[in-house]
Amino acid sequence: MKKNRMALLAVLATGMFAVTACASPSQSAAAPMVKKASAPVTITWSSGTVTGTGLRKTMIQLFEKENPGIKVQILQQPTNTDTTRATLSTQISGGSTSPDVFMGDVIWPGQFGSQHLALPLNKYLPKSFFSRFAPGLVDGASYQGNVYGAPWYADAGFLYYRKDLLQAAHLPVPTTWEQVQADSLKLVKMHKVKYGFVWEGSDYEGLTCDWMEYLSDAGGQVFNAKGQPVMDSSAAVKALSFMRGLITSGASPAAVTTFQEPQAMNAFDQGDAAFLRNWDYAWSNSQTPNQSRVVGKVGVVPLPTFAGQGGTGHACIGGWDIYINPHSKHIAQDLKFIEFITGYQAEYTMASKFSEIPTNYAVQSDPKVKDLNPVLAIVSKTHLVGRPSQTPYYAKVSQAIYTNINAALSGQVSVKSALAQANSQLKSAGSSSSL
Amino acid sequence: MAASTDCLIKGMEGETCMRVSKLDRQYAMAGYIMMAPALLVIALVTIFPIGYSIWMSLNTIQSTFTGFSFTFSGLTNYAIVFANQQFWQALEFTVFYAIVTVAVELVLGLLVALALNQPIRGRGVAVAVMLIPWTLITVISAQMWAYIYNGIYGVLNYLLMQLHIIGAPVLWLGTAGLATFAMMVADIWKTTPFVTMILLAGLQLIPEDLYEAAKIDGASVWKRFWHVTFPLLRPSLGLATLFRILQAFGLFDLPFVLTGGGPGTSTTSIAMLAYRAIFNDGDYGPGTAVAVTTVGIVIILALASLKALRTQVGEVES
Repeated sequence: MKKNRMALLAVLATGMFAVTACASPSQSAAAPMVKKASAPVTITWSSGTVTGTGLRKTMIQLFEKENPGIKVQILQQPTNTDTTRATLSTQISGGSTSPDVFMGDVIWPGQFGSQHLALPLNKYLPKSFFSRFAPGLVDGASYQGNVYGAPWYADAGFLYYRKDLLQAAHLPVPTTWEQVQADSLKLVKMHKVKYGFVWEGSDYEGLTCDWMEYLSDAGGQVFNAKGQPVMDSSAAVKALSFMRGLITSGASPAAVTTFQEPQAMNAFDQGDAAFLRNWDYAWSNSQTPNQSRVVGKVGVVPLPTFAGQGGTGHACIGGWDIYINPHSKHIAQDLKFIEFITGYQAEYTMASKFSEIPTNYAVQSDPKVKDLNPVLAIVSKTHLVGRPSQTPYYAKVSQAIYTNINAALSGQVSVKSALAQANSQLKSAGSSSSL
Repeated sequence: MAASTDCLIKGMEGETCMRVSKLDRQYAMAGYIMMAPALLVIALVTIFPIGYSIWMSLNTIQSTFTGFSFTFSGLTNYAIVFANQQFWQALEFTVFYAIVTVAVELVLGLLVALALNQPIRGRGVAVAVMLIPWTLITVISAQMWAYIYNGIYGVLNYLLMQLHIIGAPVLWLGTAGLATFAMMVADIWKTTPFVTMILLAGLQLIPEDLYEAAKIDGASVWKRFWHVTFPLLRPSLGLATLFRILQAFGLFDLPFVLTGGGPGTSTTSIAMLAYRAIFNDGDYGPGTAVAVTTVGIVIILALASLKALRTQVGEVES
């Protein structure tokens, strides 16, 4: 009996200890802390790898030099924007105070605004702050009159090509999609390169971007002016048939239906592809010596369009904004960080050294920057097209698009039935009472 | 313990019941008190989230700055879920996947367990090696399989082409039927050791003299298996099936890493659908309704499988 009483006491003591141990962290966080004037505040910045190495570290170094009382700590995001969104929406809707600021896709303001996952910046920053951005960007970061993100860098799709291969085969730089397909087939048949044209065809957000480009080139839209889905139009059929044709003809490897940005970039960097559709980061990525085997062999032009349309093709608007977590405990420091990173100095460094397209209008129009950044020099020639993201249900809208386009690309369903299914799913996607 | 006369513990048929004495009751109380902290933790970690999820599935939920705002809406979310074609597609895929993988694993696991039941030299090492797939974290082994199945630089395509079995690389994870098959292979590789361990433990409980008696009676290998091994192994088979069905319905990490639910939505499991709805789209109501429906289906299936094997877990027929 004595042994049993000892055992009972031991268990109760352990239990109470465990309960208090679980309780204390939150209690001590709630207790008011005496702030020392010299103690630096650390804010956490959730962000993904931008061009490769160095951009975020450089930004943080410059920021901390100007603001000695604030330290910035990076929380790494995954490469897939959907995974990042799911992680952040879980954390922030659960009331987490971390991260303080986060890098967010340009398509998130609708969802994040309506679900209160981002701070409305217009309530904390003066109107003059927003006039530094290129036109249209602030609207893209707004939802129902509130601005949720500070545009950090803009992005668009470009066509990257191997100068050396085109020269060897005496081919001019293609200006239509049909030429891209023909050139790819020719180069693959001549055994000059393993794959012709690589792009992002996996079923994720990136496919919606690629789709918008082909769809707009064919003259189609996702929603008409009344907001009704029109993805079963003849333009959509033309666009999707062309994309599927790239695979069936052999111009693109069948594996593109599993490619996201890293896989397509890797195929091009390793010298296995003649053409690549990717964002502006691909320029500096393909020119980095220890990452790429095609340094000095790459050219970049605006995306082509279909034959008979004339001019250049449409490029999907991308880019990333900086948002503030509404539960953050360091809002003042977060605002300072945003003001710095979208300011002239930081944006100039980013545009000139890392080839990202700046959102700061003064930097964008600076002729010195255009000289250093070949992508920036041609972005003004592209026709930009946005995704239908100004809705809180954009995640479902995009899913309706990319799951069906991917099904058609992998040959699972016919082009027409994929588009019909996408259309019917788009109809139900635009409301909260749907799965 | 000491024989008493209260009918608290039902013995096997024909046995007399045992009465519980005051001493036994004190032991029992002490036992419950000692278990109380652990039970409390289990209640907080399992019962509370499950109950909260059920409550969430009965409400329309809006995420606001101060938390969630609940509006009771009864079975609306369930109506939305059952009317959704993607739900039925995901359910069909998950059920098909569960049935095929559980069946194959039971057969393979039984064969391996029978082999490992022999007292040969090096059996300990063999068991340890066999367990390796089970001990690897699923996400990591799934990433490994993704490299193996890769359509461009995958090892499987390379080997098959070297052996002249295929002429061109096959897109294992990008073709509808093949992706499901590839995922099943990865799952079977990973989970057969688990089934083997349970069945091996069951096999070791079967007394040797039963086999000797059967041999003396002139029973063949197959008859010995069917009339001695299989009936006594039923509880273990029931346990293994139960665990496997529970796990198969929670299938998430393999499709998430290998295919992302594609191509199209052909490998989106029920758990992935719930994840997408809740965490990606912010549809907490319908998403939790999917999760609760899955729980209901799993409970029914688990009970049915136990019934089919005519056993209660933990009981050994005499």
